Amino acid sequence: MKFAGSVIIEASRDKVWQSLTDPNLVSQCAPGLESMRIVEPDKQFNVVASVGFGSVKMTFDANVEWEELEAPDYARVKAHGKAPGNGVDVVSEMRLSDAPDGATQMDWNADVVLVGSMAGLASRLMGGITKKMSAAFFDCIKGKIEV
Amino acid sequence: MTDTHTQDDVVQGLGHRRKRVEDARFIQGHGNYIDDMKLPGMLYLGIVRSPYAHARINSIDDSKALAIPGVLAVITGETLKQFNVHNMPTLMSDTQNVLPIDTVKYQYQEVAGVLAVDRYVAADGVAAVEVDYEPLPAVVDPMKALEPGAPKVREDKEDNHIWHWEWGDEQKTAQSFQDAGVTVAEDIYIPRIHVSSIETCGCVAQWDSIDKHLTLYMTTQAPHAIRTVVALVTGHLGLSEERIRIVSPDIGGGFGGKVPVYPGYVIAVAASIVTGKPVKWIETRTENLAADSFARDYHIHAELAADPDGTLTALRINTIADHGYADAAANPSKFPAGLFHICTGSYNLKNAFVEVDGVYTNKPPGGVAYRCSFRVTEAVQTIERMTDIMAHTLNIDPAEFRMKNFIRPEQFPYKSALGWEYDSGNYAKALRLAMDMVGYEDLRKEQAEKRARGELMGIGISSFTEIVGAGPSKDFDILGIKMFDSCEIRVHPTGKAIARFGTKSQGQGHETTYAQIIAEELGIPSDHIKIEEGDTDTAPYGLGTYASRSTPTAGAAASIASRKIRDKGKKIAAHLLEASEDDLVWERGKFYVKGSPDRSKTIQEVAFAAYTNHPQGMEAGLEAVDYYDPPNLTYPFGSYICVVDIDRGTGQVKIRRFVAVDDCGTRINPTIVEGQIHGGLTMGFAPALLEEIVYDESGNILNPNFMDYLLPTAVETPRWETGETVTPSPHHPIGAKGVGESATVGAPAAIQNAVVDALWHLGVHNIDIPITAPKVWQALKDHGAALEE
Repeated sequence: MKFAGSVIIEASRDKVWQSLTDPNLVSQCAPGLESMRIVEPDKQFNVVASVGFGSVKMTFDANVEWEELEAPDYARVKAHGKAPGNGVDVVSEMRLSDAPDGATQMDWNADVVLVGSMAGLASRLMGGITKKMSAAFFDCIKGKIEV
Repeated sequence: MTDTHTQDDVVQGLGHRRKRVEDARFIQGHGNYIDDMKLPGMLYLGIVRSPYAHARINSIDDSKALAIPGVLAVITGETLKQFNVHNMPTLMSDTQNVLPIDTVKYQYQEVAGVLAVDRYVAADGVAAVEVDYEPLPAVVDPMKALEPGAPKVREDKEDNHIWHWEWGDEQKTAQSFQDAGVTVAEDIYIPRIHVSSIETCGCVAQWDSIDKHLTLYMTTQAPHAIRTVVALVTGHLGLSEERIRIVSPDIGGGFGGKVPVYPGYVIAVAASIVTGKPVKWIETRTENLAADSFARDYHIHAELAADPDGTLTALRINTIADHGYADAAANPSKFPAGLFHICTGSYNLKNAFVEVDGVYTNKPPGGVAYRCSFRVTEAVQTIERMTDIMAHTLNIDPAEFRMKNFIRPEQFPYKSALGWEYDSGNYAKALRLAMDMVGYEDLRKEQAEKRARGELMGIGISSFTEIVGAGPSKDFDILGIKMFDSCEIRVHPTGKAIARFGTKSQGQGHETTYAQIIAEELGIPSDHIKIEEGDTDTAPYGLGTYASRSTPTAGAAASIASRKIRDKGKKIAAHLLEASEDDLVWERGKFYVKGSPDRSKTIQEVAFAAYTNHPQGMEAGLEAVDYYDPPNLTYPFGSYICVVDIDRGTGQVKIRRFVAVDDCGTRINPTIVEGQIHGGLTMGFAPALLEEIVYDESGNILNPNFMDYLLPTAVETPRWETGETVTPSPHHPIGAKGVGESATVGAPAAIQNAVVDALWHLGVHNIDIPITAPKVWQALKDHGAALEE
């Protein structure tokens, strides 16, 4: 399933870049995140996060890896996670560009492949879940870095 | 006449609306299903299943599962490999994993078994087994699976192509098409569906380590064949056939889904042998829908040729059969596409040629016949759709077109272009009756008026011919075992009897109907005849119940065994009456001396004498067994007419009328026949409008539960109107043909034809099943006929 979005953050591109590539800061805003462990700085980390699909909540254990980091423009991240009876693979990209009045525009997209018992349910709920989770995430980020 | 009537009510033989004797226990909650069984010390097996449709298993970590109190063992492919039982043969001589060693090949494939003290602990254990998978590319579309460079489903095979099968005369058929005045072609997809029996599959395996004896209570439609297969597969472990007892207790629906051997059964047996304790395994609904044998999944390209006057001449079919990861169908060995070559149907076609290619994909294995005697639904749907398309193309009324092309009564026994010898039929009579019942001519007038007003109404016909009762031993076997079936009757001294069969009822009502056959033949009241099936230690060998074969094979055996008893009874009666055998006349229930009806002995008196006063030199007792090898298959048929109204605003199809005229030859119990037809029609209606197993590109099944996989309830199901004609089978001892599947086979085409009939004038020539409202609405929209705000 493919998702994409765009958000304006009232901060400089460098600041946005640094914030969004800082696992400690990102993990404060990621919805459902239970723990984050850096495996290799600026490269690989491990997260445990729970995601609700309707009334069902699943806890995923995922390895996340930066595949490309081109400061302060472009990054690509790949994640492979598992939960009992389920697996998830995500490839996500973000591209930063200048917006008017010193703000930064972030365009993102994600390709999520979910397999397992949740896949049927998720195929119908994922759109809404992604929208809700991304909105919560960016609101939180904006709150932390917008002056 | 009153006397005869009383006698009929006592004997309750052929044609009697005897109440189902098994229902007394079913409706009072006293059925004995697998999950009702509780044995002392019984353990419970849960199964870890793959979330991936295709992945490498890097490792299986069972430490967290084993740490749970009550989890006793985790069984993997490596465990089973030590005993060389990690793979097993399918009924089509393909190979299937019991548990995989290195890769999983479909979602929900079994990966490990967790043995625990109860099912709740087993479920916790299943969730705690950590499997590290490395995803591999999956292929779910059989067309893509055949493309060069497609992901390979099976490492042990060259590519994803399983087999090519063809039947008929290709050149003559090609010539017919060249010479034809009119030809039509259509792509028809019959989607993957599931039998969805209310009871899922399961077993209790009980290994007796002292006697080295296995009792396997399981949900199987074919207990004897299973015993032999288990003996062949595990013989190297010392499990020889006399040490194996298969018991199939009450079964909550089979429909073909309980013919194959599933890995869960084998793992349960292994677990019982290892622990020395009984082990129960019961599938959840999701496991049943997601991993058990599916049905259909045929991608059909069909062409039909006719002379300009509308005389059909030839049929040509090319089909891609998606078998999933293994060919685990349950067809007779000789016919990898089952009896699909019954596809010339009820029509007098000169030539036909059919090709089928089996393909592997990353989906569950199977291809079982879902209530359809080996791919007959696919065949019927193809010919009935194509006939309708041809009729519409030629602008001839579909009923008139059928009447013109039917095989005529005087042509029977009829040899079809694809080699079948149809036993008997009168197709025009059945269609005419259905037309009269539904009021066909008036409906056509109504349709024309409505069409003029812009309303959409359709009338669909399906005049199907079934082929059941497999089968004659020269052509029919499963894994080499010939497809005869059997009956053993013992008449007790007091004139009561017990009869045992090689078949196994899953709801068909054998306890009622088999007794009626014997009652008719011997005159012993049905209520005095006990019927037993399903225990391989006591019942005679048989191939089981599926493909509408019980009445044609075991039912015939009941007749013949009864007649053997009668033959011996005649000798005893002659002895008792001090008359010559040649002077005795049989009238149901008694022998009398020709010309002296008062000098008679009842079957009960004869039975008593068989144990108390039998002639010197004759064996005592009164029993017989018959293994019936049918001389031919039987060919039930019928004509169904469906009337639909379609909402142009929503695309909703409403079935207004459905008339089903069935001819299954002699009706043993009309009530049970009608029940079979009602159930079968509902199971034909469901795939026509609702059912389909849906996968996404990754091989995820998207609807493995009854919230998302739509089955009709009484609310959705239309009212069925049934009628009958009776054309007995000339070769069956009582003329019966079998009826278990006719309605499932015949109904979908009638519904689909009705929908297309409503839309043909708009330019819509096919909508694949399931015909959902969005599909119809889209077709209306594409042809400018949808009502939009």
